[in-house]
Amino acid sequence: MVRTKRKRIINSVLTYGILGLALIWTIFPIYWMVKSSLSLNSEMYVARPNLFSKVITFDHYIDLFFNTTFLHSIWNSLIVASITTVICLTIGVLGAYAMTRLSYPGRNLFRSSIIVSYLMPTAVLFVPMYVFISSLGFYDSKYALLIIYPTFVVPYCCYMLISYFKAIPYALEEAALIDGCNRLQTLWYIVIPIALPGIAVVATFAFTMAWNEYLYAMIMTTSNAQKTATVAISAFKFADSAIWGRIMSASVVCSLPVTILYIAAQSLLISGKYEGSVK
Amino acid sequence: MKPRKYSQQMIDKWLGLLLMVPIVLIIFGITGIPFVRAVYLSFTNKVVGLKEEFIGLENYRSLFTDKIYWKSLNNTVIYTVGCIVAKLLAGLLLALLLNQNLRGKAFFRTVLLIPWALPGMVAATTWRWMYDSTYGIINSMLLKTGMIELPIPWLSNPGITLLSTMIVNVWRGIPFFMFSLLGALQTLDKQVFEAAYVDGAGAFKQFIYITLPGISSVLGISALLSTIWTFNDFENVFLITGGGPVYSSSVISTYTYDLAFIQNSFGRALAVAVSVIPLMLIMIMISRKIINTDINQ
Repeated sequence: MVRTKRKRIINSVLTYGILGLALIWTIFPIYWMVKSSLSLNSEMYVARPNLFSKVITFDHYIDLFFNTTFLHSIWNSLIVASITTVICLTIGVLGAYAMTRLSYPGRNLFRSSIIVSYLMPTAVLFVPMYVFISSLGFYDSKYALLIIYPTFVVPYCCYMLISYFKAIPYALEEAALIDGCNRLQTLWYIVIPIALPGIAVVATFAFTMAWNEYLYAMIMTTSNAQKTATVAISAFKFADSAIWGRIMSASVVCSLPVTILYIAAQSLLISGKYEGSVK
Repeated sequence: MKPRKYSQQMIDKWLGLLLMVPIVLIIFGITGIPFVRAVYLSFTNKVVGLKEEFIGLENYRSLFTDKIYWKSLNNTVIYTVGCIVAKLLAGLLLALLLNQNLRGKAFFRTVLLIPWALPGMVAATTWRWMYDSTYGIINSMLLKTGMIELPIPWLSNPGITLLSTMIVNVWRGIPFFMFSLLGALQTLDKQVFEAAYVDGAGAFKQFIYITLPGISSVLGISALLSTIWTFNDFENVFLITGGGPVYSSSVISTYTYDLAFIQNSFGRALAVAVSVIPLMLIMIMISRKIINTDINQ
């Protein structure tokens, strides 16, 4: 579109100006988290802290790795998130395939109830869920989370995968079916390879949903042996007073895997097909 | 071709139903059973360790006179509406800006995504550290640059505590709207805009009559999802103010937790939780039309 040069300059200034502010707003807390994790206690616990410090220290990280069971908590998070992802992806891929390619009674009802279940409020569910899971014998156990997490990760996977599968042309599968393949073979040999980028993105988001979760992890894992990373971070206290150095370094360590995964998934989304809303 | 014993249709039907079984078990079984039990327990005086006794509507009756309950409900509505509006507007603005041909677009997109990628509890804990009355960097910066004269009591002034938690929810949530809306904006056909320009429509008119209708379904779904998430947000409030001081920033999720795990009265906690379901249903129903158009495309 034709625009006067003046308008274009104003537009540029405003655009980059606002984006610049957005960058500062976004980055500042992250900067402060990382900076705090690398600051001496004498610089952190000061009445009016400074924006920059001249000295960097890895004391908090060393303290974190050698004086706490945090690494074990990271391991717990890894186990829970990985198994959750595998379970939910499997159920999700099979379910989404069925809901887009097969026709059976009640199919549309299933599709709309997927969304409704995704809207189930945790604030309502978490207490009865605790009562229910405890009554099954799961008490202070990270494996309890493997039962709970699928309740919100599976609907999410289904919802996202349905839109990815819908975008794949049916002609290829038709050809395969005529040639004698059964449904599951077409899923495995044709649909999945094509939808792989989309499946990778969904797997990433499923993993991060499980990794980042706090409330259920907090009420279902209480001992150091079972705690996941997010719960462990909030527990770094000494007689009601938070140990900020440990908390900040643990926060950095806990955030790195999911941030990297998100950025990787984002580049897949941008280069590949982009469907609907992103979580 | 060898003759088939069963038609493809029949195989499809049984396979389809079979593949639905795990989903039904997980979503309706694991979610449904606790839910039903929750409703039942809300009519009892269940306390940890003791067998519950049926007390009818007593828990619900006590809610009417429970000042903290109404304060929490009020806070939850303010929190939800305030945060959604802020996130939506900011996300829309950023999406519009990023939809242009910019230098460093990929850089902006990657960096601006990070608050959403971080674990919610990490964001909450970091902001709690920044808000700290003694060691917090926010007051330090504001005081040093002379923007304020007295430190702002982010975590102790009952009038401000809810706002402090809302700021963090907005910080975390803007990327979600930004990316959803950016994706929607990118599906809009540029030619429509050019035609409108030729017809004399300025940027504002184009926005109202072309852009907004074009992204309305994504806007609607994003708003709905975010509303549910914001309404249920627990870790943010819990880790920044704990719902206090004196319940000034208490929301329904933290009050439910407080009643259940600190005051140990599960019966009352569940009554609180169940009592907000009508509110949730109304929110879901209002936006159902938008969801239906999306699913049945």
